Amino acid sequence: MIFQKAKGIHIEGRKEACKKIPIKDYLSPKYVYIPLLQRATNLKAEVSVGDEVKIGQLVATNEQQMNIRVHASISGKVTGIKKAWHSSGKMVDSIEIENDFKNQLIETIKKEENVDSLTREQLIKKMELAGITGLGGAGFPTHIKYKTKAKIDAVIINAIECEPYLTCDFHFITKYPEKLLKGATYFMRAADAQKVVVAYKTYNYQIREALQPYLSKFPHVELHPIKNIYPAGWEKYIVEQVTKKTYNGLPAEAGVIVNNSATAITFCDAVEMNIPLIARPVSINGEGINHPSSFYVPIGTKVSELVELCGGYVKGLDPLKYNYIAGGPMTGRAIFIDDLIVNDTLGAVIVKKASEGVYPECLGCGKCADVCPVYLTPTEIKKAFERKDVKLLGDLNANKCVECGLCSYICPSHIEITEAVAKGKDLLRKGAK
Amino acid sequence: MARFAGGKAPFVRASEEKDYGTKVIMRDVMIALLPVILFSWYKNGIQVYIDGNIGLLEMFYPLFFILIGGFLSVLMEGIFYFVTDKENRSIKGVMQKLSLSFPAIPGLILALLLPLYTPIWVLIFAAFIATIIGKMIFGGFGHNVFNPALLGYAVVGFTLMGVINNAGGLFNASEAVVDAYAGATPLGKLASSGQINYDTLVAPYGSLWDFFIGTIPGALGETSALAILFGGLYLVIRKVIKWYTPVIYVGTIFVLSWIIGAVTGDAGLWFPAYSILSGGVMFAAVFMITEPVTTPTNVLGKVFFALFLGVFTVLFRFVGSLPEGVGTSLIFMNIFTLPIDKFTAVIRTKRFKKPGGLYLGILTGLLVILAVYTLVKAGAMYTVYIPFLGWVI
Repeated sequence: MIFQKAKGIHIEGRKEACKKIPIKDYLSPKYVYIPLLQRATNLKAEVSVGDEVKIGQLVATNEQQMNIRVHASISGKVTGIKKAWHSSGKMVDSIEIENDFKNQLIETIKKEENVDSLTREQLIKKMELAGITGLGGAGFPTHIKYKTKAKIDAVIINAIECEPYLTCDFHFITKYPEKLLKGATYFMRAADAQKVVVAYKTYNYQIREALQPYLSKFPHVELHPIKNIYPAGWEKYIVEQVTKKTYNGLPAEAGVIVNNSATAITFCDAVEMNIPLIARPVSINGEGINHPSSFYVPIGTKVSELVELCGGYVKGLDPLKYNYIAGGPMTGRAIFIDDLIVNDTLGAVIVKKASEGVYPECLGCGKCADVCPVYLTPTEIKKAFERKDVKLLGDLNANKCVECGLCSYICPSHIEITEAVAKGKDLLRKGAK
Repeated sequence: MARFAGGKAPFVRASEEKDYGTKVIMRDVMIALLPVILFSWYKNGIQVYIDGNIGLLEMFYPLFFILIGGFLSVLMEGIFYFVTDKENRSIKGVMQKLSLSFPAIPGLILALLLPLYTPIWVLIFAAFIATIIGKMIFGGFGHNVFNPALLGYAVVGFTLMGVINNAGGLFNASEAVVDAYAGATPLGKLASSGQINYDTLVAPYGSLWDFFIGTIPGALGETSALAILFGGLYLVIRKVIKWYTPVIYVGTIFVLSWIIGAVTGDAGLWFPAYSILSGGVMFAAVFMITEPVTTPTNVLGKVFFALFLGVFTVLFRFVGSLPEGVGTSLIFMNIFTLPIDKFTAVIRTKRFKKPGGLYLGILTGLLVILAVYTLVKAGAMYTVYIPFLGWVI
């Protein structure tokens, strides 16, 4: 219909190649590089060169901003502070740790005895101490979400992973279904909520099959299938689908907190074993990889080692004709040098053919405005940005853009319209100040 | 370590797939024109040949005329690119630019808008206005303000109509011998007589069914609503155009004409049906007001554009000096595409909040005033006493 709400579109998944192969553990790389940057926040190193560190030892913090804590992911010796390519597209200072292959754990990592009697405050404290951040891609510190004053009815576990090529969450959930439900339950208790909703894509029916046997033990958990479209994994979309309510700022306004499924599994370990966030799943995928697969790796691992485990790049790959993408193909970033390290927000590395060829000018078909999930008009925002018309950008709500990438995806003329809208959003933000 | 290519997210694009993209859209437009072209050939060539009024070679003339229109605009764009590209002038470069600017479509549509016996030199002149003035001067595909084909048609219509009429004009060889037509197309009759009368407007040409099928005198492509609907249906199914743009446009003309017919004494549904089936209404509704470059981009903009256009078409039909209101109103509305786009985009995001509500009020207010004015004006033209509107004028 004419004024129907934009509901996203189906994008071919291209996940099958990676889905067939089960997730592998790769827990002992020779070196790890712990980046001193998290979510545009610089961290202070708590160790110096030459120190011996154990798994789980605090190595970097930023107490001023949201109390970010980063822990050593392997045991060994700090050999230097070196620059490494980070998924933000920049080179950042990182703590280089050389593995001694002794796998020494720090003393605090032990089984928690009285798990069932932990209060809400204690659970949030554990979250904070373990340095848990959202593993979906935004990397927002989880404990901030739970320190809300609002009344929370439900915790939603986002198991959707709507971008093409991504499979790491799928593998992680199907490998640890019980941990997911336990972690979700701890989240529920940390929010004083009554129930947990696991939102998954109908296409990933294996997730339902994996969780079904445990549901009798977790009666407060319900599964919520969601259509196989993009951007179904967007927080607001899930909240609207599950609660039929909408919000402007944070999901807490609608009485829910949304967490990624991998975060829930990590939190389960943090509560029961006091293991901080030191490892995460990563998929290596794309046409440029010989045998795409997913790995569970310590944070700071070099992606090039994982690519080697996948059989390397396909034969005769010309790097200048391929993109090396950190993150999902819809919202990720092209990295120029394949020297990337795994950080807390990196869910995938995709090597695929770069776009080439020449395309016509914008013909004004309006498809970008039709697909926009927040109801913007990208063509007009682009024009307003080119004229540097800040007032008009405000009238067009350019700040509401979520940079999902659908407008560029659908554009028949291959125009970089998402980029233009994102720039318009930046200009509005700077101009408004 | 290796150096990889750069690029911007998203890295997955629909336009990189085979069956999607601007080229496919433009190919679909050409396919949709096919039924119109074929019908026009049948009506002006094959049928006339069967009647025995023309020879075998002449039978191919309508098809030839349309194709030469397309060829001319391609040729002119090619020459334009060749002349303006001073740095590296090459046939290969010209071919590449041509493949991105879809030059054949304005020429084809232009030829379909013109009557059959238009002299070729007039066609060349019109094609020059359409492609060079209407399209290339503005910066080529995607930048033109006016619909190129329509601009060519309008210039020729204003300046060379006499030449076209002298050369044989609107009638094909079979129609020229029918006395009942009295040398005018249906709309021409309405303009000259000013009477809403079934016997003078519809009866000489058969029935409304003939209007729908398209066996009435008129320009090459515009007579057959049936062939145009086939093309439009294809475009809607292929998601090239939105179904509601033509529907709203035709609907507005239908409703306004009905009211005009009713207040002047004949409330029959034949008059609104006649209004939408004669002249270029159907052709414009499917192929010209949906042309993406020169019409608004977003949904609300398209709706307002179609509404305004419908009102203007009726207004120009009854108050202008030309029998045809479609072309004039569309050229006029093309000017306002950019502001409509901007205003409706703000309405889309701000709704009734400031300044969205203000813009919405301005657009709706203008629309209502224009519609009322049109009704008053058209009613007065028929010298029929309208008591409740008498004091307004």
